[in-house]
Amino acid sequence: MTPADAVIGALTVVFAGLGAFFFLVGTLGLLRLPDFFSRTHAATKCDTVGAGSLLLALALYNGLDADSLKIIAIAGLVLLTSPTSGHALARAAFRTGLVPWRKERAGEEAS
Amino acid sequence: MKRALVAALLIVAAIPLLSIVAELPPHAAPDSPAYTHVSAHYLEHGAEEAGAENIVTDVILNYRGFDTNGEVTVIFTALAAVLAILLLPSEERVEERPAPAMPVSMVVRFVVRLLAPFIALFAVYVIMNGHVTPGGGFQGGTILGALVIALTIVLGEDEAHRLLPRPARPWLQAAAPLTFVVIGIAGIAVVGSYLGFPAEEPWQWVRTAWLVILEIGIGVGGGAIIGTLFWTMEAER
Repeated sequence: MTPADAVIGALTVVFAGLGAFFFLVGTLGLLRLPDFFSRTHAATKCDTVGAGSLLLALALYNGLDADSLKIIAIAGLVLLTSPTSGHALARAAFRTGLVPWRKERAGEEAS
Repeated sequence: MKRALVAALLIVAAIPLLSIVAELPPHAAPDSPAYTHVSAHYLEHGAEEAGAENIVTDVILNYRGFDTNGEVTVIFTALAAVLAILLLPSEERVEERPAPAMPVSMVVRFVVRLLAPFIALFAVYVIMNGHVTPGGGFQGGTILGALVIALTIVLGEDEAHRLLPRPARPWLQAAAPLTFVVIGIAGIAVVGSYLGFPAEEPWQWVRTAWLVILEIGIGVGGGAIIGTLFWTMEAER
């Protein structure tokens, strides 16, 4: 194994671990956060940072060829579309009158 | 008394059913009829007999093309039924549509405009490459339909309606069944049977061309039908 291979292998592990971490955090947020807005926020983190890191790790692992270019293109597509759909969802919810959750109001609503 | 009778009838009905289940070949047994009749033949000879490297395309367009012909006709009939119900002339229909309650977000508009050419390219690729890789007319047509819906939301209805000129619309909506009929009749003329594909040595390119034409017909028809359904239901809102 040449030093270059070792560096690429280490970067692959780092990015794959980062992606897995963000998917874990995003899933926890989707399950545990209090309202629609914060859950949307958590779920879109999975797609952008999580999937982005994982795809980057795959491209690094695969080396420099046409398949890696396709993987990078998919990552670019995900980076464009996922925040857009998250934005559209949150905007539609806010404009149709969904009130964001606030900590100080949490008690009143429950009672 | 009644309950006992019902129980007895159930047992009488259950005995033959259970005995038949016991006769069935075990799950996933390699010698079960499902794996020994046509499937094995399709997998071994499909590419050379039917003309497409994608076995699914071989089955739906060549071996069972007649079935797919009926299928696309059913889809077109479903569109006709929906239009017949939703386009009933009503007295209270207002000519001017109210402005949408919420303007389209700048972000959404920018991203859809940026990605629309790529989505269209992907749809064409899925349709045209369906005889080689997974995909084909049905899948590509759905992508086209989704593109029509996204563009309608972003550009507004009037602008989007200009993408599909009104006189061409019925032909586009009926594209799939029409293509099947045309290729089917061409099969009668050339091979002697409806939806027959020429398979002899120098004419294999004709077979490939016909498969691609069928895929295009299915794709265009499917996209036009999905788009029209969306427009009709939006106008109904």
